[in-house]
Amino acid sequence: MPVFPSVEWFDAVSRSFNSDEANRTAGGGIADADVGIIFEDQVFLLNFAGYECEKASVIQRSDLENTDFYLEMHPDDWIEMLINIQQNGTADMDYTLNTLDLDSEDGLAKSATGDQYRLDKFFRFNQTMQYFFDASSNVETEFDREITPA
Amino acid sequence: MAESEEKQPTKTTPPPRRRRNLKIDHDVEVPEPGYAWMPRTLEWGVRVKPGAKGMTMQGLNVGIYGEIPDRWDEQTRMPRGAYPMAGIPPIGFALREKREVWADNAADLYEEAIQRRWIPASDIPWNTLEPLPDDVEAAMCQLCTELSQAANVEFETIGYWLQHMSYGYHEVKLFLASNMFDAGRHHEAFRKRALANGGGLGIESKGEINRMILESKGGWSETSLLLHLLRGLFIQTIYRYGERFAHNPAEKVMFARALEDKARHTAYGLQHLRYAVTHKQDKALVFQQLLNIGERVFARELQEPVVLEPLAVIFGGGIEGAKAGMREVHHMMGDFVKSYLASTDWIGIHRGRAFPKGLSRYLEA
Repeated sequence: MPVFPSVEWFDAVSRSFNSDEANRTAGGGIADADVGIIFEDQVFLLNFAGYECEKASVIQRSDLENTDFYLEMHPDDWIEMLINIQQNGTADMDYTLNTLDLDSEDGLAKSATGDQYRLDKFFRFNQTMQYFFDASSNVETEFDREITPA
Repeated sequence: MAESEEKQPTKTTPPPRRRRNLKIDHDVEVPEPGYAWMPRTLEWGVRVKPGAKGMTMQGLNVGIYGEIPDRWDEQTRMPRGAYPMAGIPPIGFALREKREVWADNAADLYEEAIQRRWIPASDIPWNTLEPLPDDVEAAMCQLCTELSQAANVEFETIGYWLQHMSYGYHEVKLFLASNMFDAGRHHEAFRKRALANGGGLGIESKGEINRMILESKGGWSETSLLLHLLRGLFIQTIYRYGERFAHNPAEKVMFARALEDKARHTAYGLQHLRYAVTHKQDKALVFQQLLNIGERVFARELQEPVVLEPLAVIFGGGIEGAKAGMREVHHMMGDFVKSYLASTDWIGIHRGRAFPKGLSRYLEA
């Protein structure tokens, strides 16, 4: 069972996301974006191209400058979001990426370079990012800690 | 009727396809075809292959078909790369300079718009709407009336400018056609929401900014500055908060999908305005002067209660919570002003001290 977060976990989610053609409809579709993921001191890169998430890899924090934007939350908030998705099949009203972005003090989506144009891809491809994390409901996931939901 | 007695379809041979015969009437004199049009091409033998995203408009920009001139002198509807014909009366396009319309991302944004389209009638789960308290329903209907009308202004404005853009820059014309269609979809979606849950349409604001946008005739770039940057980013911010404070999945989906479209319009606006600034020396100054006026009109119009008050009621969960809701409105406006100033910086337009207090006050905690 893949552990969140890990390249193995992101690969499993990518397989589910890439194979579901429903993710290409109703606001989904082609998305070209390099997205960073920060979970404590671990940093990952997701390369979205065309209809798919092509690759997941581990990167250094300094590499975030090359991303369009990155997503950073408190580790408990990451886990809480994923548990919500697993329980509902998709994120419910309180756990969509946009809602979490507005609800967190520092925001969820950030730019390492302050480039507003690239940061706007978070909104342009918001449904694709949502479909991606919603696809994690199909992946049996192990977390490295217990959390107490807020 | 017993199953065995049911009439079974009989197998018959389908009749032959009926086609009109090409009859040759030898009594009618037909001129011998000359096929003079056939060799008239500037580049033949082009074989564009589809890539990972299919056969894209950007992919077609090969050979002479990908040569995008800084000025398009052809005054007819001749497509870029086609064989020019003599004697065609001019149409009189006003916008013939690349810097007046261009954005490098236009072709890709067009593909994005086409591939990421959605359908308000069936993609929004309308059956999840449930009765809301009267004050909240009234606020949502008022907001949707404003948003629907803003979208209406958007497609009408672009419609005016499209006919003035020369055919050399078809990528931009295509993208803006999709922008118009998106705006039509937003007009539709918000009108549907207003009329779907026991409420109705509210009032439209006086519409000073709407008039400024509709009556902006100085140039497409100047119109895009007001439409995509100033008002566009404001609407985009409202969509974000609309998604956050949605009362049901229907509203959630409606605002989320509209947000994606609006961010795409912003992406064109940012790229185009930056292109305009970097390709004409005094353009940044022109934009500064125009924003000095536009921002003040915009700030003044915010004093009208028809947008921010309904938002406060929605955010606060009703009239009783509207005071707390107004604090959230302040926060929303702060988000808008921050992204707006980051965008003007990105384009190369200095705001600084000219930025009106009516907007900068939202940056204060």
